[in-house]
Amino acid sequence: MEVGKLKLSKIFKNGIIKDNPIFVQLIGMCSVLAVTTSAKNGLAMGLAVTGVLIGSNVVISLLRKVIPDKIRIPAFIVVIATFVTIVEMFMKAYTQDLYNELGIFIPLIVVNCIILARAEAFASKNNVLSSAVDGLGMGLGYTMALLILGSLREILGAGSIFDKMLFGPNFEPALIFIMPPGAFILLGILIAIFNNVRKKKETTEA
Amino acid sequence: MGLFTILISNIFVNNYVLARFLGICPFLGVSNKTETATGMGIAVTFVVTLSSIITYAIHKYILLPRELVYLQTIVFILVIAALVQFVEMVMKKTSPGLYSALGVYLPLITTNCVVLGVALLNVQEGNNLIETIFTAVGASLGFMLSLILISAIREQLVIKDVPEALEGFPIALITAGLMSIAFLGFNGLV
Amino acid sequence: MNETVKLALILFLITAISATVLAVSNDITAPKIAEADALKDENAKREILPDGEEFKPLDEGKLKAIQSSHSNISEIYEAYSSGHIVGYTIKMTTNGYGGEIEFMIGVSTEGRIMGINILNHGETPGLGANITKAYFTNSFKNKSTDGEITASKEPSGDTEVQALTSATRSTDAILDGVNTALKVYNEELAN
Repeated sequence: MEVGKLKLSKIFKNGIIKDNPIFVQLIGMCSVLAVTTSAKNGLAMGLAVTGVLIGSNVVISLLRKVIPDKIRIPAFIVVIATFVTIVEMFMKAYTQDLYNELGIFIPLIVVNCIILARAEAFASKNNVLSSAVDGLGMGLGYTMALLILGSLREILGAGSIFDKMLFGPNFEPALIFIMPPGAFILLGILIAIFNNVRKKKETTEA
Repeated sequence: MGLFTILISNIFVNNYVLARFLGICPFLGVSNKTETATGMGIAVTFVVTLSSIITYAIHKYILLPRELVYLQTIVFILVIAALVQFVEMVMKKTSPGLYSALGVYLPLITTNCVVLGVALLNVQEGNNLIETIFTAVGASLGFMLSLILISAIREQLVIKDVPEALEGFPIALITAGLMSIAFLGFNGLV
Repeated sequence: MNETVKLALILFLITAISATVLAVSNDITAPKIAEADALKDENAKREILPDGEEFKPLDEGKLKAIQSSHSNISEIYEAYSSGHIVGYTIKMTTNGYGGEIEFMIGVSTEGRIMGINILNHGETPGLGANITKAYFTNSFKNKSTDGEITASKEPSGDTEVQALTSATRSTDAILDGVNTALKVYNEELAN
């Protein structure tokens, strides 16, 4: 039995703002902190996760009536792991430098809670097109968060964005932002700001 | 690397949560009470150590000789999922109190980045069996340490006055950031 | 049919399909990966030892003997110009902060480091990743192969190279590798 058909655009927007995986649902954190040492890395990881998310959502949705309920989690894991491995292989072949920079966080996409959560909460209960759009929305929402955090950390911590130096050679960047503490603190502040904006929006809409 | 150095390195200098960013989800999700944090830490230590040994063996004796290394991700995660199921069953029978306290977070150990992360890092660094075990134990102890530390702080924070926007996750993250700075001080040790 | 067996079979089927898909992907990407690696190596050799017109791999027996005591050395090539050896390129790995670093070092038969080229690394951008920057790799040029290479903020003399700010692990990893390569050069190759 399928859940009532939501408008596709609403599903898409859900993933970007209302249910943004990072800022609202607060899941999939590990890679967020680790790979946002530069805007480029954040973007690359975001796109990789989006690819896996769409792929696994589509396949799991296709198979949703075939997979028995008792083994659904292991089955989901196999599907997700397959897509992650494919992404791994193609990144190693065609974008080797990015592959090296993202390191073990590429195979770690398989335990990114977002993907399993969407499989369980959405793809296993909705048709293929909606699942694909949901994957796209969540993935892009995730990518947006990574891009913002990565850009902030790169600008403050290295004085560049996408490897282009922004300030003159005498600018002394605050290295702390590239290092682990910077990631935690910046993410904390970003979530606080996002919460604030959301609360204000809710009170004005009420 | 000397075995003792491996322990110190994984517990403090390259703490799996505060420096390597693995295990963040349970770190932020289970750290409300120190008791649950300790229970989670112990469960994770068990799973990480066992899974590291098993994945090491599979990698060395099955994947490598047969050139199936590309199946690593899939095989490792399936091993971990199976192990967690097993731990769940055992815990349900032997300590049902802890089992219900951990609730949904117990099966979530499968998606805990630390478990898969340690397995992958061990293979990447080419550790032998003993080094693998020490890395696994060190990583889990470091995870448990940071979990206990932050839950102790969060228990206090709940009582104090925190600005509304910062309540919950944001303040936890900022706290983690400060802890991370403190742990940076260990850098010169190894 | 027994419920558990049926569940296990379905799971097995899904896994088998995924393994097949992966095997196919592997067949597609593996040659491309090897190709990309080979091209990178070629370019690295020519960049480090521009005098070399021809590069020949070191005699296999000799390479194996070296590898038995230094397992992180993967390739050694002899560089020839007008028929005689002018230098060697050594490709090897070392353990950095973010995993293995693969790099190549060129030494001339006159006892000078001709340069280093970082091939693969997983160091942190803005910190350890600066090992690929020219101000670091260039500081190795013309250093002596006699004695141990060390790093300092203001390098001077024949055996000092540029140290990287806040990236001690990465710098040390490269130094470690380079000194091993020099050891191999002095003991096995320079005769």
